[in-house]
Amino acid sequence: MLSPKRTKYRKQHKGRIHGMARSATSLHFGSYGLKAASPGRVTARQIEAARQALTRHMKRAGRVWIRIFPDVPVSAKPAEVRMGSGKGSPEYWACRVKPGRIMFEIDGVPPDLARRALELAASKLSVDTRFITRVGLED
Amino acid sequence: MAETNTNTIVAEPRELSGKGGARTTRRAGRVPAVIYGNKQDPVLISVDPRALHRELCKPAFFTRMFDLKVKGETHRVLAREMQLDPVTDTPIHVDFLRVSAETQIHVAVPVRFENEELSPGLKRGGVLNIVRHEIEVICAAGKIPSVLVIDLTGLEIGDSAHINMVDLPEGVQPAIADRDFTIASVAAPTVVREEAAEEQAALAAAELEEEEAEAVEGEVEGEEAEAPAEAEEAPEETTKS
Repeated sequence: MLSPKRTKYRKQHKGRIHGMARSATSLHFGSYGLKAASPGRVTARQIEAARQALTRHMKRAGRVWIRIFPDVPVSAKPAEVRMGSGKGSPEYWACRVKPGRIMFEIDGVPPDLARRALELAASKLSVDTRFITRVGLED
Repeated sequence: MAETNTNTIVAEPRELSGKGGARTTRRAGRVPAVIYGNKQDPVLISVDPRALHRELCKPAFFTRMFDLKVKGETHRVLAREMQLDPVTDTPIHVDFLRVSAETQIHVAVPVRFENEELSPGLKRGGVLNIVRHEIEVICAAGKIPSVLVIDLTGLEIGDSAHINMVDLPEGVQPAIADRDFTIASVAAPTVVREEAAEEQAALAAAELEEEEAEAVEGEVEGEEAEAPAEAEEAPEETTKS
């Protein structure tokens, strides 16, 4: 699973996700992509599940680019622990995704296979998504 | 490689400029746009989103000449830039460059790959690694190729397609002229790379085994009593590695 190699601080504030993506809103590497249509946190586990779904459906043909990285540590308190007594320990890594962000790009596969593979990947994510293609590709 | 076709878009002039004016135009259900170039004053216009979408759905939007009709006046233009909504990907602004058929311009032409089935590398499971989806060329506005075709016939794994392999039409030259840049390459698939890595690991293990066997033989000659125990341990380590 993706995670930062080292961080300056172990814990972060929860934060809020406002506005729309300003960068990574168009395809840069592949011919097909998956774009976020709603804001949300995507966890490292979800990214890995989506990547596996993609590569398995593509039968290891083509190429996959992951354009998000989980760099937000999310902490949680253990079960049956009373409130207070400080912040919980970091449990997993997540990525804050704004609407419009390209999360995955793929290339080297036919359009119908790409659409199905990205549909399967989208079902592993906790944000609404849209399948996009390069302009003028399907001529 | 088709030559450029001319299409007509009907536009209306708009008076308000800036983001406030553009937003007013969008609220009215139209897409703000601008015509500039050819040493004339820019003209602020708005176009019907459906007409724009129709043109967008046709191939080669940025390499086609358009006749923009604004209140009886016709402008011969080329779409230069289009801003899209980051979420919906609908056009929110379009730039049109006023050109004549002879104007020399830099334009990015999309690339299309053909004969993938005739490439032995791709047939063996290689992956087409596209380095450039578009190639910037310099040509007359009336002679922009709608697409540049790259023939993949005969490309093996590890081979690349360069700009000198492309048959450019007359009067069209690449903007990067100082080097023979790569457009795409055929990379080895993950499976082949894994197999090669396994083969290398097996070879390395065999070499290590041989070396250790030789070392054990040397020790046997020196210390006869301790030799059997070390000889038994050696193969286990190689299997782990």
